[in-house]
Amino acid sequence: MNVPSRREYRTVIVGAGIVGLFTAYHLLRAGAGPVLVLDRGFLSSGASGRNGGGVRQQWETRATVRLAREAVAAYRRFGADFGYNIWFRQGGYLFLGGTDADMARLRKVNEVVRSEGLDARLLDPAGVIRIAPELNPTGIAGGAFLPTDGTLYPFPAVWGVYEAVRRLGGEVVLGLEARGVRTDAGRVVGVTTDAGEVTTGHVVNAAGGWSAEFAARAGLSVPNVASRHEILATEPLKPFLDPMIVRLGDGLYFSQTMRGEIVGGLSLPHPPGTEGGMPTSPEFLRAFARAMVGLVPALRHLGVLRAWSGFYDDTPDGLPVIGEDPRLPGFVQANGFGGHGFMLAPATTLRVARSVLGEPTDLDPALFSPGRFRTPGGPRPAEGLQLG
Amino acid sequence: MDTAPPREYTVNGAGLRSAPAVPLARALSRRHPPLLQRSIRYHRPRAPFCGVGFCTGCLVRVNGIPNVRACTYEPRSGDRIRTENAWPSSRFDLLGLLDVIFPHGIDTLHGFRRPRMVVPWYHRVVRQLAGYGKLPTPGPAATPPPGELVDRPVVIVGAGRTGRWVGEQLNARGVRALLLDRRAPTQPEPALEIRSRTTVAFLPPPAGTTGRRFRLVATQPGSSALMVRAESVVVASGGYDTSLLFPGNDRPGVLTADGTLALSGDHGAPPFTHAVVVGGGQRAAAMLDRFGEAVDAVVAPGAIEPQVTARATNLGVPLYPRTIIARANGHRRVRSVLLASRGRGASFEVPVDAVVLAHRRLPNNQLLFQAGARMSWRSIPGGYYPELDPAGRTSVPGLFAYGTVAGGAGAPADASTLAECVVTNAGPWPDPSPSIVEEMPNELDGYYREFLDRPRGRGKTIACACEDVLLEEVEEASRAGFRGIEVVKRYTSLGTGLCQGRYCLPDALLLLAILEGRTPPEVGYIRQRPPVVPVTLGALAELPEPAPESAA
Ligand SMILES: Cc1cc2nc3c(=O)[nH]c(=O)nc-3n(C[C@H](O)[C@H](O)[C@H](O)COP(=O)(O)OP(=O)(O)OC[C@H]3O[C@@H](n4cnc5c(N)ncnc54)[C@H](O)[C@@H]3O)c2cc1C
Ligand code: FES
Repeated sequence: MNVPSRREYRTVIVGAGIVGLFTAYHLLRAGAGPVLVLDRGFLSSGASGRNGGGVRQQWETRATVRLAREAVAAYRRFGADFGYNIWFRQGGYLFLGGTDADMARLRKVNEVVRSEGLDARLLDPAGVIRIAPELNPTGIAGGAFLPTDGTLYPFPAVWGVYEAVRRLGGEVVLGLEARGVRTDAGRVVGVTTDAGEVTTGHVVNAAGGWSAEFAARAGLSVPNVASRHEILATEPLKPFLDPMIVRLGDGLYFSQTMRGEIVGGLSLPHPPGTEGGMPTSPEFLRAFARAMVGLVPALRHLGVLRAWSGFYDDTPDGLPVIGEDPRLPGFVQANGFGGHGFMLAPATTLRVARSVLGEPTDLDPALFSPGRFRTPGGPRPAEGLQLG
Repeated sequence: MDTAPPREYTVNGAGLRSAPAVPLARALSRRHPPLLQRSIRYHRPRAPFCGVGFCTGCLVRVNGIPNVRACTYEPRSGDRIRTENAWPSSRFDLLGLLDVIFPHGIDTLHGFRRPRMVVPWYHRVVRQLAGYGKLPTPGPAATPPPGELVDRPVVIVGAGRTGRWVGEQLNARGVRALLLDRRAPTQPEPALEIRSRTTVAFLPPPAGTTGRRFRLVATQPGSSALMVRAESVVVASGGYDTSLLFPGNDRPGVLTADGTLALSGDHGAPPFTHAVVVGGGQRAAAMLDRFGEAVDAVVAPGAIEPQVTARATNLGVPLYPRTIIARANGHRRVRSVLLASRGRGASFEVPVDAVVLAHRRLPNNQLLFQAGARMSWRSIPGGYYPELDPAGRTSVPGLFAYGTVAGGAGAPADASTLAECVVTNAGPWPDPSPSIVEEMPNELDGYYREFLDRPRGRGKTIACACEDVLLEEVEEASRAGFRGIEVVKRYTSLGTGLCQGRYCLPDALLLLAILEGRTPPEVGYIRQRPPVVPVTLGALAELPEPAPESAA
């Protein structure tokens, strides 16, 4: 059952999360089959099935704003293109600042976003409360809002791309682990799996939080670090909250889904790495609840329904890693998406596919290339708005 | 107790009074379970089903707080109680038309996509339909009750018969354990420290290897939280009566044996006049003992045990072994059931006003899963049980299981072995292996194979009542190539509602095993994400913050 049907593929993609699947989709659309996607878990077992569904275009780095804008357009079309309703609802992202430093950061972001032609707004405390009247104004110095940001349901997005990949002749094998990469004369010639070896000229590392682990299996050390993030959902309520809310100070974020649940999280420091698995901690429940009850007092009586966690795949500069690794021709990186890989996926994976095909992309190598961490030099650009 | 004044309160504006410590749902059920709720998607009428605070059959708004369970909530004088999510009332709800207009359900996965101009409008409408209650609007904010921190060498989860045995055995060895139980107190037990109405919601895997390394999170009425630190935890959380798939299986009047007991109280009349009891074992016998006068038939998916036959014969109640429940007829309550004997027998109708599900009791194993205990599948009754050594030790050092949740009747002698082991804590922790693995097939497995092959006729078969997921949707997901319980859960949203899958996943697992041609363990676990029951944000915010315990 969990065995690829062929011995040879043009491209093998490791990881059937949203990044791996979308990459396969773009390759197949370009007629560049056969493509094999393999995943050792079940469909949506990684971060793609564990995230908050937030989609925003407010970023410090201009290049990310552009990718996000492109992804928003793609997600708006998703229902028509993929046959699945992802309930992409553009209720906006409302960032909350509590200090002058927060507001300075939001102002900087706002300038970049506005200069890209998006209708981002800076708000005073009264403006914040107008958008979200349930918030407790204490401690809110102001905010930033972009009405075309929003939230979606991650699962149907995964189903839709999965089915499209299979329709286009791609093969997705679940429950199969990639053990390593075989090289010859310094380039990729195959992938070893639990079901034997598969011959291929290109491997895409779309292993999400396990990208460093898989890179190491190919003999490459990368600076990616998995960090565990906890998240929860409450009992469903009738709709009262339109935007996704993100607070700069503690990274509290939450939105109300189409089903009425409040889904949200908060950043807590956890030891890095994937070894500890994906547990939930009482500390998280307490910290999130405290933050939430302070900000939306009426929710004190709302029950937490379920909590879970997943891995961000973090990079030192907060920007993803996209493109062929210069140390190993044929090995293409598509990872390091931190807490934002889902929202950017339709756009970033188009560039991943181009890299696989050896075509040039519009991505600035100083921001996105796998080689950037080893180029010596002074301070380099970084994405600072990591929350939510 | 008897001298305390009755509680006076209003339900949808009408004045009511009931004795103290009587849960609202019981106070409201006369000859039928009260219709308090409409279902989330199709606004089907719903009444209490489980009776033990887990399902979505009895949610009401109390003093501005939504999603309060009427089956466990004990009203206080002055309470203002309202039904929600129905217009104009839960009895006559105009949105119930959705159920009629969409006999095969609404496909929210593929529908609502075009024309694109209209999509935002769809979003607005569908969004308004989501959710059970409105935003809480409590009166003047009472200061939240502070969370409490308790330290004990041993905690026993469940103060039922078996939990108390362990407590007594520990007492005899000079160790005073703390017993936690979600139910209201029963008879006084001066020798034991029991906290009633305390539901353990979260038992993370232990931290470290020595000292009080377990941390349990429990909730209590009034939304206060309790954190208990312990060296050893004994899970004696018992079992619960599960659901069954048939068209109309969510109709008011279809309820579990647990639910029947809850709505009747210790000595009261049942919430029906003519019921069929489903099941052929001990639980069905207990239902006959208690409610025999109001039982019109006993129907079992498989064989009927002699203990049931003897009782039924005495009462003159007809027996239908190896029989399929083909449908429950009725709208706002059950009017009759359609039965058919297995092996393609002709169907016949029995007029009843209730279906009491007493066919299968599954373990309350959620805490064992949470704590990381190794679990293995038992085909009879069709559930996951902890792997144990003879003393009741699970694969997690310091964690024990006993009684129904451990898959045994819980003999008193075993309680003594277990207690001895807790106290002496001698020797290395064992590596337990799966206990008995029966080769016999699950009785319900063959049942569902036949049920799926039969024409089902009209009426929705609800595979997940909390989220209104239809059996057809599960079959479609499977047909579309989405395999395994984890994926089908996410695909259909079955198991993601308020009961956290407790009532739908066991059946879904058996169904998927048939549809995928695999064994249930290959299809997946029936596990849920913490907490076991919803815990309010207010309670969690007050969770005590103990300093890290230094190794003892
Ligand atoms: C709590 C949380 C909240 C988040 N919130 C948001 C949000 O609001 N918006 C947003 O855009 N993003 C969010 N994210 C981030 C987002 O989920 C991820 O960036 C995105 O899903 C990454 O997709 P992926 O396909 O790269 O990784 P994944 O979905 O993790 O997929 C990687 C897959 O690789 C498989 N794999 C790994 N190693 C191997 C191997 N050796 N062999 C075979 N298979 C292997 C894994 O099983 C896994 O399925 C959040 C993440 C978390 C954890
Ligand atoms: S009947 Fe009250 S929760 Fe099930």
